[in-house]
Amino acid sequence: MLQLIDLHKRYGDVVALAGCAFGVDRGRILGFLGPNGAGKTTAMRTVFGLVRPDAGEVTWDGKAITADLKRRFGYMPEQRGLYPKMKAHDQLSYLGRLRGMTGKDAAASADQWLERFGLAERRLDAVETLSHGNQQRVQLAAALVHDPELLVLDEPFSGLDPIAAETMSDILREQAAAGKAVVFSSHQLDLVEDLCEEVAIINDGAIVVEGNVRKLKDAAPIRHLELELDGDVGDLLDTLDGVRQVRYDGHIHTAIIDSETDVRGFLARAHEVGRLRHFSYTTPSLSDLFREAVR
Amino acid sequence: MSPLGTMWQIAQREIRERGRSKAYLITTLLTLLLVAGLVVVPGLIGGGTSDYTVGTVGDANDPIVAAAELLGNAGDEPDDEPSIAIESEPFDDRAAAEAALEDGGLDAILVDGHEVVLESVGGFGESAVLSLLQRGAASVELEAIVSESGDAAADVIEVMTSDPLETTTLSGQEAGDESRGAVAYAGLLLLYMAVLLYGTWILSGVTEEKSNQVVEVLLSSIKPWQLLAGKIIGIGLLGMAQFASTIAVALIALRVTGAFELPSLNAATVANLIIWFVLGFLLFAVMFGAAGSLVSRMEEANTVALPMSMTAVAGFFVSISALSDPDGSAALIGTFVPFTAPFVVPVRAALEAIPAWQYMASVVLTVAAIVGLVFVAGRIYAGGLLRYGGRVKVREAWRSSDS
Repeated sequence: MLQLIDLHKRYGDVVALAGCAFGVDRGRILGFLGPNGAGKTTAMRTVFGLVRPDAGEVTWDGKAITADLKRRFGYMPEQRGLYPKMKAHDQLSYLGRLRGMTGKDAAASADQWLERFGLAERRLDAVETLSHGNQQRVQLAAALVHDPELLVLDEPFSGLDPIAAETMSDILREQAAAGKAVVFSSHQLDLVEDLCEEVAIINDGAIVVEGNVRKLKDAAPIRHLELELDGDVGDLLDTLDGVRQVRYDGHIHTAIIDSETDVRGFLARAHEVGRLRHFSYTTPSLSDLFREAVR
Repeated sequence: MSPLGTMWQIAQREIRERGRSKAYLITTLLTLLLVAGLVVVPGLIGGGTSDYTVGTVGDANDPIVAAAELLGNAGDEPDDEPSIAIESEPFDDRAAAEAALEDGGLDAILVDGHEVVLESVGGFGESAVLSLLQRGAASVELEAIVSESGDAAADVIEVMTSDPLETTTLSGQEAGDESRGAVAYAGLLLLYMAVLLYGTWILSGVTEEKSNQVVEVLLSSIKPWQLLAGKIIGIGLLGMAQFASTIAVALIALRVTGAFELPSLNAATVANLIIWFVLGFLLFAVMFGAAGSLVSRMEEANTVALPMSMTAVAGFFVSISALSDPDGSAALIGTFVPFTAPFVVPVRAALEAIPAWQYMASVVLTVAAIVGLVFVAGRIYAGGLLRYGGRVKVREAWRSSDS
């Protein structure tokens, strides 16, 4: 299990981490969310000792992370980078060897991943000649080539088309099913909701929400309300209590309301002023939780 | 894998990828061709005999021309082609000779054995022929004086061109050991070139890794010092391979063409040069590597190279002064400053002007400086590598790192 324990980090006057703490078990996928500049990348870098925290520590199975342990982790940094003139296969095989594989194993694993990503025929092409999408695939393979126990992926979905994103999701599920711990950051919350049972939301360097998505939704003090009416609604919406946010797209009113709000009474009043075309009252989406958490 | 094994993996990648690159192969080939050309071409066009034509007007000119030719060739080995040949061309009057001089048909005019007319002074050819004729005239005059006591002209010339004083030195060098200075100077020049050229390779190699951002992937698995050391070893070996083949080609070309007499070297001199070449190269390579980590783009790399280039220039100048005054205070101080020692100590050692304890102390100090610099540079490197954007200040890089 990976644990980040009370991490603090300042860069001059800028506070990057202020007590950031979360964990992820083997076999689990954790979605690591937060607005830009909240400290996601800094937190992920501390796992690999790329950033040394001012206070706090990172452990794997309760032990401090050593140089040898690091080689059993896979990392896809936000700043993508490979040797542009090096052949895809050579590159993956080299990274495998750096992490302690034998030359033979590393070469076999490199080929296996290239095959998996449909790049078998381009294995001897320089990385710079590959398309952006294919470079992303090689980058992911670079994090996977040594069969790591922990995967830390910084924005793995950014820049991927829906098909490629689906492949990425499949691979992450597979890796978790094979007993690896997976952490990834993303801004694509619908994707995260689809993929993760667990999320951690960071804001201003500290985790503000953490846990099982289902339970978080049920326990949230807010509900998601959608409403579409025929005719003049007048000041109907003003009679609704506990409205936190409301949006109107010309047809549908979407509102975040307190979970205690009396929705039955409101529904009855809505019937009186106009014909109700659409009404939905649900637990909040991950996006709703996110917006509430970082507001 | 052991830390050293990792380092070697990195070095191997550099050698494989960089050594196969067109840039490396082409620069190596061009350097070899250039060096071979520099050795062979002057041998083809230069060398041989320098020909002069002297116009003569009046009497008493021919003995001077003959003596001048004899003196000019006095240093030649018996089997060699003569160094110079002076042809004399008689004219009836001075005006005709001056016209021929103006046309460029003559190098000088000799009038009645008393006067030399040149087209101008200050040119290379003019001063050579003037000095030959002056010496020739002097020896003719001398011959006239000594002939009264019966000595032959040839004996006079032999005495004039010999080194009658026997030479001994306090340092115990043999006469004829002047070539040691030349060897030391050549070694110095080579070190200076290698430091700047291959130091720049290391600098740009490090910056390249940062600019294509692969460094973060690498550092997630390995330590910064392993990456730095691996790169220095890999690029250093490639550079040395290019350098050694260049020197080998130059030596072979020199031997084949015989364009230049090579001083004979003993093993101690060669070992001395190699030890200091390696130490000097490592010292500067570490600094160049650390500097490369401070910038993100190749265009900025030159600005951070300046301090190292200036240090190398300073070392070079101190060693030039050590060459003329190997026991002077500049040479002494330079011996104990690790940044100048690789330039100064081999020169002093080649001139046999350094006590053994100073030599050893200097080696120890320089090795210590390299080890210390690996630590300092490794930390700057680690701190600098993950900071993208503009140029990172050394202090910032130092602070933001822990390894």
